Amino acid sequence: MLIYTIKRFFEMVIVFFLFLVISYLLFNAIPGNAFSSLLLNPLLPPEAYQKTIEAFGLDKPLYERVQLYIINFFKGDFGYSYTYYPRTPIDLIAERLPRTLMLFSIVNVIAFYTGFLVGKILAWRRGSKSETWITIGSVFSYTVFYPWFALMMLWFFGYKMDWFPLGKFLVPEKWYDSPYTSDEIFYTLIIFVTVSSFLLFLIFIFTRNIESLQNRRNVRFLGLISLFALAATYWTNGEAALKRFYAADIAYHMILPTFTVTLVAFAGTALLTRTTMMEVLKDDYILTARAKGLSQKRIRDRHAARTALLPVVTSFIFTIITIIDGSVLTESIFSWPGMGQLILEAVVQEDIPLAMASFSFIGILALIAHFIADVSYAFLDPRIRIKSEN
Amino acid sequence: MVESLLEVKNLSMHYDTLDGNVDAVKDISFTVKSGESFGLVGESGCGKTSVAMTLLQLQPDNSVITEGSIKLDGKELIGLSENELRKVRWDSVSIVFQGAMNAWNPVVKIGEQIREAMREHYPENSKQQNINKINELFKMVGLDESISERFPHELSGGMKQRAVIALALSCDPKLIIADEPTTALDVVIQDQILNEIKKVQDLLGLSLIYISHDIAVIAEMTDKIAVMYAGSIVEIGPTQEVFKSPKHSYTRALLDSTPSIRGEKKKLRSLDGEPPSLINKIDGCSFSPRCPTPTTQCKNQSIEMRLVKVGDDHFADQCCSGCVKNE
Repeated sequence: MLIYTIKRFFEMVIVFFLFLVISYLLFNAIPGNAFSSLLLNPLLPPEAYQKTIEAFGLDKPLYERVQLYIINFFKGDFGYSYTYYPRTPIDLIAERLPRTLMLFSIVNVIAFYTGFLVGKILAWRRGSKSETWITIGSVFSYTVFYPWFALMMLWFFGYKMDWFPLGKFLVPEKWYDSPYTSDEIFYTLIIFVTVSSFLLFLIFIFTRNIESLQNRRNVRFLGLISLFALAATYWTNGEAALKRFYAADIAYHMILPTFTVTLVAFAGTALLTRTTMMEVLKDDYILTARAKGLSQKRIRDRHAARTALLPVVTSFIFTIITIIDGSVLTESIFSWPGMGQLILEAVVQEDIPLAMASFSFIGILALIAHFIADVSYAFLDPRIRIKSEN
Repeated sequence: MVESLLEVKNLSMHYDTLDGNVDAVKDISFTVKSGESFGLVGESGCGKTSVAMTLLQLQPDNSVITEGSIKLDGKELIGLSENELRKVRWDSVSIVFQGAMNAWNPVVKIGEQIREAMREHYPENSKQQNINKINELFKMVGLDESISERFPHELSGGMKQRAVIALALSCDPKLIIADEPTTALDVVIQDQILNEIKKVQDLLGLSLIYISHDIAVIAEMTDKIAVMYAGSIVEIGPTQEVFKSPKHSYTRALLDSTPSIRGEKKKLRSLDGEPPSLINKIDGCSFSPRCPTPTTQCKNQSIEMRLVKVGDDHFADQCCSGCVKNE
């Protein structure tokens, strides 16, 4: 396993290097540069344009710039953003990333879990009327033109019903006299969500060894209750109590985008789960499980869905990348100022340092996601574990 | 006289398919006494496995039991709800499946898969109790204790089949249905597994239903035998007697197609034709088109299929029981 991991790591480094070079070249293939628009201003002397170009090193030949960029990249120097000068790309990403991370990690987890749940039930109820209708619904939401759908949701729930805000991630009026910046609140929220999901995970891991199913269920339920109690005490005491008001504002703004993206994104997982699980249900060990007298639910969850999970998890891990790049569309429609909008801006304005920094950041995370996919696959499927050890 | 553990009476079952009803099991009756081993033999597709699956009602969703009764220990199984059946499954009757290769879930450890069944039927057992019992069972079937912590793909075919036997014994059943447990194994392992089953059966005093197309294996394993053809039992009786004086021409043909180690070399006879499609209703004797020695009555298909007594506890189909005598 160790040799395999090391090998994979070296592959990742090479791929990343190629990724950097190719994306840099691609950005330079766009005609003009970030400052071309200066030329349109007749009041500006051409020397000023020339000076700006020189100041940012854009007059140097391409191969020299690539070389310089890569060397600086590995030194940790990403330059300055052209459009937000003198801010650095890292600075900008650090500001935008928590917002995207928060929204899309929650969206992805919810969409994956709903999709898996729905797919599981669809396969199990094969041939029933509800199966037909839910499948048709899933296919609809899988194929629907997303921008239109998102706008419709915004129109209906935001404007017509007036239940949810029309975009943005906070109500500015509420924040005028806020002692906190929105970033601080975001960090608090992220830490809260991470810690509570980690605790939830621990509860499930540590109760796995309880032999009696009844006891296991009770202990898990108890754990869940105490987790809620813990969360409640956290938000009502100390500093968190002061932040609660602002955190609630952000959470309220997250509901509609979460709901919309989930509706669109769950269908892919649901249909994939349905297909793989229907294959699994034909296998002999399902018959063994039935003959053993296990309950229907346990056969479905423990035997059928567990094995059907493998391809579904792979597809999920590849969508993790969207957590970081943020769906550009979603962020534009819901005016959510995250990474997606930042990248869009950088590309449109040919802000090469910013675009390169964002892309390489996503690239690194994509590579890590693929790596996690491989490792978790080995964790889920013992058959692969053996092969990779050899 | 030992009382009968399993009593199957006039059991009929068909599969509902797009092409029509497939009559897989037609009017079958037999009894299994406690401690007895009962053999079910017949060619592929004659309904052996359908019978086995129907006993625990594990048959596919498109099957319909049209009539009959299955009594286990005096308790009627047909008409029980799924939850009631779950209590019977594995607790009273367990199955050693056809393909041990695929009987295990590939992503769950062997020990966990056995414990899962025990958890269901002995909810009050502690984990250590269950582990101890599994180790005991593994010893009985000749497996190492460490197998519990292995995944199915790490075992050989023979080991998997032994583990399946341990699995079948895990909840102290009264009856084990062995559905061609040795089909996928080579002859040496086959022999070992058969000995294992026999040993376990004697040790625990279990009843056994042994299903196979291999009449030689059946002869070795069972006290009583039923020969199935096209969904019905054509001959049933004590194994020794059926082998010594087969009354039905299909039984005769089966015996003739099996080589014998002792005695003079004989050319093996094979049967012409194919087993009938079970979709079409057959009037009269279903075996008559392939019968090597048909009588005119058979050809006209005028005799109904019905078992008649041909010896002590020995019954055969009335049509063909005549055929053999005429030879």
